[in-house]
Amino acid sequence: MGELCQAEIAIIGAGPAGMAAAIRLAQAGIRPVVFDMGNAPGGQIYRQLNAPVIGETLSGTDYYRGRRLLRDFSRADIDYRPRSQVWWGQCESDGVSLGVVDSAGASRWHVHRLLLATGSMERSWPFPGWQLPGLMQAGAAQILFKEGGLVPEASPVLAGSGPLLYLLAWQYCRAGCAPQRILDTTPASRYRLPLRYLRGAWKGRHYLMKGSRMMLALKRAGVPIHHGVEALEATGRNRVERVHYYWRGHWHDQDTSLVLTHFGVVPEPQLGRAIGIPYDWHEGQQGFLPVRNASLQARDRVWIAGDGGGIGGALNAEREGRLAALSMLTVSANDVADRERERRRLEHRRATDLAVRPLLEAMFRLPSHWLSEQPDTTLVCRCESVSLGELRRAIEQGAVGPNQLKAFTRCGMGPCQGRECGESVTRLLSTVQARPPQEVGYYQVRPPVQALSLGELAAMATDA
Amino acid sequence: MFQRIAESSVIDGVDIQLDGEIYHIPVTLSVAAAVLFIKGDEEYRRHVDGHARAPFCLMGCCHECLITIDGEPNRRGCLVSVAEGMSIERQLEGSQDDG
Amino acid sequence: MQSDFLIIGGGVVGMAVAYGLVRAGQRVTVLDESDDAFRASRGNAGLTWVQGKGIGMPHYAELSLDASLSWPAFAAELEARTEIDIEHECRGGVDLCFDAPEAKARQRDYAELQSSSRHLAQHFRWEYLDRQALQTCLPGLGKSIHGGTWSPHDGHCNPLHLLRALHAACRSLGMEYHAGTPVLSLSPCLNGFRAATPDTEFHAERVIVAAGLGARTLAPMLGLTGTVRPVRGQMLVTERMPRVEQLPTPQLRQTATGGYLIGDTHEEVGFDKGVSLEVMSFLADRAVRIYPFLRQARLIRAWGALRIMTPDGAPLYEASSRYPGAYNLNCHSGISLAAFHANELARAIIDDRLEERWSAFSGARFDVPAHR
Repeated sequence: MGELCQAEIAIIGAGPAGMAAAIRLAQAGIRPVVFDMGNAPGGQIYRQLNAPVIGETLSGTDYYRGRRLLRDFSRADIDYRPRSQVWWGQCESDGVSLGVVDSAGASRWHVHRLLLATGSMERSWPFPGWQLPGLMQAGAAQILFKEGGLVPEASPVLAGSGPLLYLLAWQYCRAGCAPQRILDTTPASRYRLPLRYLRGAWKGRHYLMKGSRMMLALKRAGVPIHHGVEALEATGRNRVERVHYYWRGHWHDQDTSLVLTHFGVVPEPQLGRAIGIPYDWHEGQQGFLPVRNASLQARDRVWIAGDGGGIGGALNAEREGRLAALSMLTVSANDVADRERERRRLEHRRATDLAVRPLLEAMFRLPSHWLSEQPDTTLVCRCESVSLGELRRAIEQGAVGPNQLKAFTRCGMGPCQGRECGESVTRLLSTVQARPPQEVGYYQVRPPVQALSLGELAAMATDA
Repeated sequence: MFQRIAESSVIDGVDIQLDGEIYHIPVTLSVAAAVLFIKGDEEYRRHVDGHARAPFCLMGCCHECLITIDGEPNRRGCLVSVAEGMSIERQLEGSQDDG
Repeated sequence: MQSDFLIIGGGVVGMAVAYGLVRAGQRVTVLDESDDAFRASRGNAGLTWVQGKGIGMPHYAELSLDASLSWPAFAAELEARTEIDIEHECRGGVDLCFDAPEAKARQRDYAELQSSSRHLAQHFRWEYLDRQALQTCLPGLGKSIHGGTWSPHDGHCNPLHLLRALHAACRSLGMEYHAGTPVLSLSPCLNGFRAATPDTEFHAERVIVAAGLGARTLAPMLGLTGTVRPVRGQMLVTERMPRVEQLPTPQLRQTATGGYLIGDTHEEVGFDKGVSLEVMSFLADRAVRIYPFLRQARLIRAWGALRIMTPDGAPLYEASSRYPGAYNLNCHSGISLAAFHANELARAIIDDRLEERWSAFSGARFDVPAHR
């Protein structure tokens, strides 16, 4: 098991970016190896689309648009490895070494070039009671919907901000389980922003019209939408029984057994950071993004495509995957001119599509002081149950940065490896110390970035 | 707390064991989704702080869905698909320690 | 306000001495590097250990033994002051031997050490235990382990909580602390010493270099020894596991929260605090040989940290003969010696009797530059 596997190009992730890149590479005669945590290609956005459980009338057309990609992927000559987790990576002069665990155990790979297409994760946005059973992220609800056609038995409350909240509400309405209400933390006035971002609004009219259509459908279904909710709290013994929200100057209560939250998405950073790619704070996206050049290359031999490089959505991810593939190919190109035309065409479409992003970012901008305004009992690190109050105390005692804070409190030392608390800690220190998030920085991310057992690791020892 | 919608397509089922009892479950579900489907979220897992926890992200990030699968503890239930004969045990004993 | 002392370095060595100084009423300013600096204080195993220290240098063994004896009172004092649980335990420890030659060499080393020092002959207690005998203090020990040396003086603590408690205690006693303040140069000035940082200058009557590897550049500026080098240790920690009544070993120990901390490698790789697959898998393999029940335990984190090694591996405590009032402290056992650093060492610095009191650890024992 200690033997070394080799590949010219490895892609990590089989969402739209990873699939598009693999297809394009296969067209050029390269057989990439694709490591995917999932059971089938599609990523989160096209999950279960290989054998769909819900019809197009329920999912909306965007989901089914992925079928072409899935078909091309399944027909191309690609070394696809589902249920494979890359837990370790290291850049070397002649390529990248990867540690992979799958059902057969742990193996070591050496690849000449690497594409990270690891996608995004839902942004963690702590408030009191967010750790209770009965409170899930909207993305989780969508996964249940796509994976098994599962919907809540009792009408849920949806809370937070962003397009996914409305997509889920719309899908639930179609499936006959309309939400009780939507607690939108976006002020109503923000929905008039398109008037100020005319150029972006025009280029992104497809997204905006889709949004208005969904909102209209929700209104017709009689779902109350409260815009401008300023604070949230979930309470209950052992599970959520009630949600409290601060709206129009007062606290309101709503009995519910299920709260689904969404506060936008951020790039999943673990592997990128673990192999030493620098991340910079992006004010518009309110999170850290890997630093990439125009060819989507993050460092020698490593490219990043899709939402893992910055939030741009599924269509953009697909284009980035192809662009990254073209950039990886140019090294051995013999039909340079054709590829250059293809690249320009993709770049142009990508730019047009991305033009709406600043508008969306401004519309759904989250209040950056949210966390520091929560009560001390709010959990920030779910794994180690570290509260905001404990973090504040440790900061006063001399924890001046994320890593010292982690050392002092165990915040970020649990199984999720800081995925759920990392940016919260950056935000908190930024507010408390009045320093920009970029300067505050982030945890030093350590392997393993995916779980593996000591036994699996021990089996890789050279003398084993 | 979750139910299957009537309009969803017919899916093959598998028999799994959850805490010793046998259930027939759609094959497309992950272990975490299956437990939510069968038992709801109230008794999914007990955390190191002694409180109840349940899946939060279902996409491999939050590690709230840790569960024992075929005797192996602390696996992410959201990343493993159910399979015929699989044995699942919820970790309801004040978890791994009381610290 | 001018301080009595500037301490360069906010790790566990600098902070233990700072604590001893502020507790004695000295005005102390600590200048620390940024959050992502090399920090042995945050990367170590948390052992308060006597075994194996000072082989070939009995003074160091004596120091380690005395430091171990004063640890419980030190921990109690810090905890009372800060309400931070340092998780210190001194119920003995075992240094494992993997084969017969290792066991033989170990016993010979300890016997020689004791024959060279009356203090050690009298007070250093240890015993060789074979695998069978070890089962009572290391239940579940694997079959491939040969045996180990047991000593009642060995223990462990939570090094991160120790660092936090030192920070908290020093703050409450009035220490001035500046993080993200790398010192670019140190020089004598009219009323003592000056430390230049990117933004400003700090002054104090006396200065203590406790900068770990930073001493390589800073110590020589004041005629002090800068010949320390990094020796990397890689560590693994597992998820929380059920608590087992067992003694710590340098190879692995269970922490108070239940995770197993696995380590004890020595690599000369320069300033690289990364991890390598070879060493991680070696450590995992050794861990499951020591405790086969760890086979299923999930790895939570792996990291590398840089020990600060003097040429002979023993601590360096020196006062500058050229610039009186400048001191240099460096060692790789900042946790084991923390009680000593906060008590006797801080006292000797206040009294300016460092070289007199601890001459065996002076920089004079190394090849020193001609100008000194």
